[in-house]
Amino acid sequence: MQSPVTPFKEDYSLDLPTFERLLDFHVRTGATAISWPHHKGESLNLTIAERKLFAEAAVRVVNGRIPVTVHVSALAVEDTMELARHAQEIGADGILAITPYFCTPSIEAIHAYFVRLCRSIDLPVLSYNSPSYLAGVEITGDLISRLIEQLPNFAGVKEASFNSEKFLEISRAALAMRPDFAMLTGVEYLLPSVPLGGVGSYSAAGSICPNLCSRLFDACMSGDWPLARELQYKISWLWLLFRDQYPSSLKGGMVMMGRPVGPTRAPLPTATPERQAYIRSELERLGILESEPHGW
Amino acid sequence: MPMYQPGLVHTPVTPFTRPRGIDFDRYAKLIEFHLAAGADALALPMHAGESVSLADGERRALVEFAIKQVNGRKPVIAHVSETGTAIAMALARHAEERGATAIIATTPYYWTPPAAMVLEHFVRIGAAVNIPFFLYNAPEEMQGAKVNAELCLKLIAKLPNFAGVIDLSLDWQFMIELMTDAPRLRPGFQLLAGTELMVSAAAIGATGMLAPLAGVAPRLVRELYDLCRDQKLFEARKRQEQIAALRQALKPGGVASLKAAMRAMGRDCGEPRPPVLALDAVAYQKLVGELESIAALRAEAREW
Repeated sequence: MQSPVTPFKEDYSLDLPTFERLLDFHVRTGATAISWPHHKGESLNLTIAERKLFAEAAVRVVNGRIPVTVHVSALAVEDTMELARHAQEIGADGILAITPYFCTPSIEAIHAYFVRLCRSIDLPVLSYNSPSYLAGVEITGDLISRLIEQLPNFAGVKEASFNSEKFLEISRAALAMRPDFAMLTGVEYLLPSVPLGGVGSYSAAGSICPNLCSRLFDACMSGDWPLARELQYKISWLWLLFRDQYPSSLKGGMVMMGRPVGPTRAPLPTATPERQAYIRSELERLGILESEPHGW
Repeated sequence: MPMYQPGLVHTPVTPFTRPRGIDFDRYAKLIEFHLAAGADALALPMHAGESVSLADGERRALVEFAIKQVNGRKPVIAHVSETGTAIAMALARHAEERGATAIIATTPYYWTPPAAMVLEHFVRIGAAVNIPFFLYNAPEEMQGAKVNAELCLKLIAKLPNFAGVIDLSLDWQFMIELMTDAPRLRPGFQLLAGTELMVSAAAIGATGMLAPLAGVAPRLVRELYDLCRDQKLFEARKRQEQIAALRQALKPGGVASLKAAMRAMGRDCGEPRPPVLALDAVAYQKLVGELESIAALRAEAREW
């Protein structure tokens, strides 16, 4: 699944035509779903009005070809609720929401948050677990069990701890209760998650190397582990390249692939020409420049 | 140096007598149990074997005893982690002299030295012997210095007998980063799962596993390991989930829970040493109840 970056013009305002091109690019190059705006899409650098505007564009451009989910996590939970209602109004297929930011909520507070969110809309709700970025705040297996029991539209989790035990504690609790519960991960970490019941991941590098993403997904789902290892090592190396000041370097790499999407909003830096040249040399070394589509 | 593949490594607990002393009769019995129950090798005394609660002379005596008892039937790997580099080096040399097949060491206890000194710590311990050296990466157990892939790759360049990493970080990013480069720099380099959560590690390329739960559920451990070794990873999921449930039941009490579970399975190895407290009667009964609820344990032997 692809989560597009957010294109900006040189004056840092939203670049709608480029966003539309990018959405279409992802659909044409094998994305199984679109989800926007993840942190990669600079969600927290956008106003709520901007998020609504582009969410509408995503639903309109994708036009039912694949599912579209909206990432509704905002600093204020009240904004999250508003974005969730909006996603339902515009015809999105689901929403994604992380555990609340900043206030290190207790398990009970996280529980109350997801109950309120799920009951406020009819759409499927995907939760998002990211303990290493949120001071250890995390979704546990027990919490997942309670939420599944109470909420028919609590449909899945993006489990981004990248840790065998944390993933397993959630997956074994969830899949025992709801076999079609969507166990997802982040950053293309498909190889370690698929054998545990994982069914997909949001991609970091899909705007650079959609072919590699699709090949890795197919190799994992078909259990071709030697091929999957080779592809996972390669795509994970790209993650090391891009995770620094994410998504600055990713946007820099997109320039090199003929798909410029403009700068990154402050406080994140924009990739310098030197950084872009380094990224280009690494993409060349990995054979990405010749094996992946150039331009739109 | 020819690389050694440890395979499924059991990590026995250490039985103690009261008031103090190692119960060597019981330890002999336990070693025989592990060998009969499917161990490809033994690693001892690991943290599950209360290595840090053994006095200096005891630790040496335990390794000597185990090697004699095993008597070449399977490899014995000695755990030599210590705070002081020279103390760990001495344990490593002793283990090699007495016939250990390999050594294991983790980061220094308590200190938080700079990365260059952590590297030096491992280089010196490994260079003290001519047998394979495995680095044990256990960030949750070890509060001080941390290991990353970069350190491991530097260690390959500096230490010819650095044979692999035993991973207890369970961190996909670390394992993938390590395995992208390490086997290319050192053919035969091994990744071992540091506990019985092996499926993801095996997908990434792990070939071995340390099994602290082997004294409780050796059959389940063996089945999981064999499926992972044969890369039957979808098929391994069910056993992985069962063993994760067992691990969670034992996790809160650490070694005390592990020894309590050994007793519940009919293989009494006594209580842990201070400062670890044994489970009280209520906690023990609760644990027994939880073990009863794990269906996979019903196929396991309830005796020696």
